[in-house]
Amino acid sequence: MKRSAAASERRERRSDAILSYGFLVLSALFALFPLAWMLSTSLKSEAEAFSLPVRWIPQRLTLQAYGEMWTLKPFGLYFWNSIVVSGVTALLSTILGALAGYGFSRFHFRGRTSLLAFFLATQMISGVLVIGPYFQVLAAVELYNTLTGLIIAYVTICLPFAAWMSKGYFDSIPKELDEAGLVDGASRLQIFLRIICPIAVPGTVSTLLFAFLLAWQDLLWALCLVSIDEKRTVTLGVAFLVGEFVIKWPMLTAASLIGSLPTILLYLFLQRYYVEGLARGAVKG
Amino acid sequence: MPSGRTWHDRHLGYVFVLPATLMLVAVLVFPAFITLKLSVTPEGGSGWGLTLLHYQKAFRDPVLLQTFKNTFAFVAWSMAGHFVLGLALALALNQALPGQTFFRLIALIPWTIPDVVAGIIFRWVLNPIHGALNPLIRMVIPSFPAEFQWLSSPTLAFPSVIFANVWRGYPLVMVMLLAGLMAIPRELYEAAAVDGAGKLRRFFHVTLPGLSTIILIALALDMVWEFRRFALVLAMTGGGPGTLTEVLSTLVYKTYFQFFTFEYASAMAIMMSAVLFVLSLPYIILVGRER
Repeated sequence: MKRSAAASERRERRSDAILSYGFLVLSALFALFPLAWMLSTSLKSEAEAFSLPVRWIPQRLTLQAYGEMWTLKPFGLYFWNSIVVSGVTALLSTILGALAGYGFSRFHFRGRTSLLAFFLATQMISGVLVIGPYFQVLAAVELYNTLTGLIIAYVTICLPFAAWMSKGYFDSIPKELDEAGLVDGASRLQIFLRIICPIAVPGTVSTLLFAFLLAWQDLLWALCLVSIDEKRTVTLGVAFLVGEFVIKWPMLTAASLIGSLPTILLYLFLQRYYVEGLARGAVKG
Repeated sequence: MPSGRTWHDRHLGYVFVLPATLMLVAVLVFPAFITLKLSVTPEGGSGWGLTLLHYQKAFRDPVLLQTFKNTFAFVAWSMAGHFVLGLALALALNQALPGQTFFRLIALIPWTIPDVVAGIIFRWVLNPIHGALNPLIRMVIPSFPAEFQWLSSPTLAFPSVIFANVWRGYPLVMVMLLAGLMAIPRELYEAAAVDGAGKLRRFFHVTLPGLSTIILIALALDMVWEFRRFALVLAMTGGGPGTLTEVLSTLVYKTYFQFFTFEYASAMAIMMSAVLFVLSLPYIILVGRER
């Protein structure tokens, strides 16, 4: 009796596993198919990309498109711009966000609840609400067409999330650690820098990642705040390839893939941090 | 604790929070007020002559009305798609099967793609002559039209855009639900199993209640993100055919930077933000109360 129950449970487990695998394989195909099609196109010559019937795998593999994107278009420069803008944005919003998150997590000052609600509400603000004034103000202070202008804009969208994620993460770190530090005579800033920050590394990494990704992937702000080729970001450069009179699909697909590569790699390598940061910050908070 | 320290602490809290707060006021609140002021300024006017003309115009604008409807449908269908796919994947990935990490990495990939690139990808996949989808369908259904025009079809352009957005956005919901699932204590399942609860009962009595808060948070965040979705639509259809796939972000952008009617665009942006704010109010109250 007992043995047959265990056997039936094992059988049930196995059929569960088969079902799950089937579903996982299907969804992996769903996730990868569009990308595989991009990859295939990017490895074709232009003539082959437009030949009929459609070929799934290029007959003659060529890296021509991957060369052209750097020579016909200044994608090297676009990459540099994107790296500078996203990197500085991620650093700035993570530092400011961590300070605010720690303040919210550890101190009970007057107006704390209203300020928290304010930070929460700023997450809901859409870029298009402030894009018009941004354009005018940046033009007035001569920051239109500059990377600095873009960084300021990106901190706007990243900072509310950074503060919120940090607060959630700090909340999950026991307050007793702070109190032990106080007993030892450390100042609050010392405690924050020497005790809490080292523990909060996974949360900080996930905040950095999130901000970097937001800035790297943006199109709206770059489109509105940059009009000269030298200051374009990668996404903007890619978007302008679509607007051309005749779209060179192999080059466009190559540039799209290379332009997505930094964020793809960052995520794949750091996803443990990301999931843990989200789990402790946003979920349990 | 000595009272001196608490006094100190109270004020130190401001020091930590101040830099971010000042930054947000300067770069977000201040421009938002300029938008608000612009939206009640007569066209081409300046100073403090106020008018509600732009709002009156907005309420009678058939394009704006259509765009509001589009945006609601876009957000609702995207959220539904993200939730169903995200929950199913999170459940499948939470079983500690061999190869689980591999599948989780793959499932995350669409979200690491910039949404402008996602728009380009699907524009190319759905290309009527050289795209991948039509030949793929014809391998299964040979009678399917050879050059089916997905993105210029009045009935199928919009579902195509939503489909692309479901592809690109489900991983965020999946990751959050997966984190929520991992936080449910194993003992709860074991206790339910001892009580003789079947798989379905365990799902409805242990999993769902354990996930309810994170589901609400994930849906609310997803709603905000999809409400603001811009680059995917712009790159995929540009809002066309006509205004059939126009969403509020693309419409406001065009009104600002292609038609250069800043005052009217401001009024639209204010209306859009007001709607988004009202929609996210339950979330703000829920989360704000818990902290």
